[in-house]
Amino acid sequence: MAARPPLHPDYPLPDVDDPVMRPFWEGARAGKLVQQRDRATGAVVWPPKPMYWKGGGRLEWFEASGRGRVYTWVVAHEPFLPAFRHLLPLVLVVVELAEGPRLVGYMVRCAPEAMAFGMPVRVAFERLTERVTLPVWEPDR
Amino acid sequence: MPDGLDRDLFRRIQDRVAIVGIGQLPFAKDIGRPISDTAVEAIQLALEDAGLEAEDVDGMSMFEMESTHEVSIARRLGVRQLTWWDKIAYGGGASCATLMHAAAAIAAGLATTVVCHRARNRGSPASRPWAQERALVRDDKALHAPWGLVRPVDVIGMWAHRHMHEFGTKREHFGNVAIAARRHANRNPRAMMYGRPLDMATYLAARPIGWPLHLYDCCLETDGALACVVTSVERARDLRQKPVLVHAVAQASGPNPVHLANYNATPAMETTAAFCAKLLWARSQLQPADMDCAQIYDAFTPLVVMGLEDYGFCQRGEGGPFTEGGRIELGGALPVLTSGGGLSEAYVHGFNLLLEGVRQIRGTSTAQVPGCRATLVTGASGVATSAVVLRGA
Repeated sequence: MAARPPLHPDYPLPDVDDPVMRPFWEGARAGKLVQQRDRATGAVVWPPKPMYWKGGGRLEWFEASGRGRVYTWVVAHEPFLPAFRHLLPLVLVVVELAEGPRLVGYMVRCAPEAMAFGMPVRVAFERLTERVTLPVWEPDR
Repeated sequence: MPDGLDRDLFRRIQDRVAIVGIGQLPFAKDIGRPISDTAVEAIQLALEDAGLEAEDVDGMSMFEMESTHEVSIARRLGVRQLTWWDKIAYGGGASCATLMHAAAAIAAGLATTVVCHRARNRGSPASRPWAQERALVRDDKALHAPWGLVRPVDVIGMWAHRHMHEFGTKREHFGNVAIAARRHANRNPRAMMYGRPLDMATYLAARPIGWPLHLYDCCLETDGALACVVTSVERARDLRQKPVLVHAVAQASGPNPVHLANYNATPAMETTAAFCAKLLWARSQLQPADMDCAQIYDAFTPLVVMGLEDYGFCQRGEGGPFTEGGRIELGGALPVLTSGGGLSEAYVHGFNLLLEGVRQIRGTSTAQVPGCRATLVTGASGVATSAVVLRGA
């Protein structure tokens, strides 16, 4: 992986202590893409719900396949957020996971012109800080 | 939803409440003073237009995402006492909702005369929300901001690109929207783009911003302040202006919403506007074919293509071809954005679309549809939104 410049002070880091999203960010830190599902039906719940939600007792987190397909994408050009400028032109993507939900991310190791609808992708991880690792996507060739 | 309609409060509101005054400041890149100040002046102009005084106002419904206060605006106006007020947020979604809340308050007897407004200073690049992202992001934003999906052009570009893929929508279709808005703006001396024509070659040659969207797919960024005055039809009869009736109005979030980056709806292309439209037309005696023109929210050109579908002017996927042959321009079957809209008049979160709807019913638009009896005004597809059908008395 190419060396990243130091994290920009205005990078929009996620609050990894958010009680609803904490398992997602802890999973990413451990190199796993995790999702929430209904224990009884197996239906994947995204965005995740709080465990104190009415049906919270029936929810659990599990490791997803980490594979999906490109549902749609855009190629971002200037003017852009300073924290991401070194990545431009940046391929922002919506991935439809094999498990169903659509997740927002960005592509790595993939030129804008190599993108296609339905293209298989797999998760990769980018460590931003000691506590924050970002699941991102690369072509699944 | 049709099951609940006989109990729907709206049956008691339909055509019972009217917009009796409108006011606005000249649009600007830099208006030079805070929105707490411009809001007061816009409301004063709307009251003057109605022939009412601040002492007549007892309710306030504001489209607000900043931190101005009803009480301070009311004090500066000279309102005796507010007996009812509220604030509605959601950038792009709330303009018509201010009317719905005002109408409900008047129908319920909680207020008699309500001022609705939106004031927004976004002309300066540094003021744009996406340029102000700071650690840490929470709630819905944590689902997209950490990857840099923050600019609305990228959020909407995701939909636009998928629409192009699924339905064969072309850049030229989006271009038709930009050009229609610009042609209408060129009849409107208030418009920021007055005197600046746009043709398809220029549209197509523009630089990419969030590809496949380019420069002219994006709305303007403007400082502006606009207001309207709402009261009962009984009071409206004694006032200066021809009353514009609130015939039907609705607000909807859709299921499983994520603010802005809303990609988990089912079916996938059902935006919040599709749900709002269902409720709106169920409440309305007038239907899409009865609309003489439409002010469809246009932060980006694809929102108009999708809005034409959402609000039932054509089937899902047909929004692109619907824009062809001058159909959405003055003289066509459904003129859209007759003031120039957010793309070419001013971008004030769509409140200018609402005032243009009022002018069309009054017969005072600079791109007047002859004999306009009814018009649709909408908020944004994709965020928690609202829409209204306005008609003449």
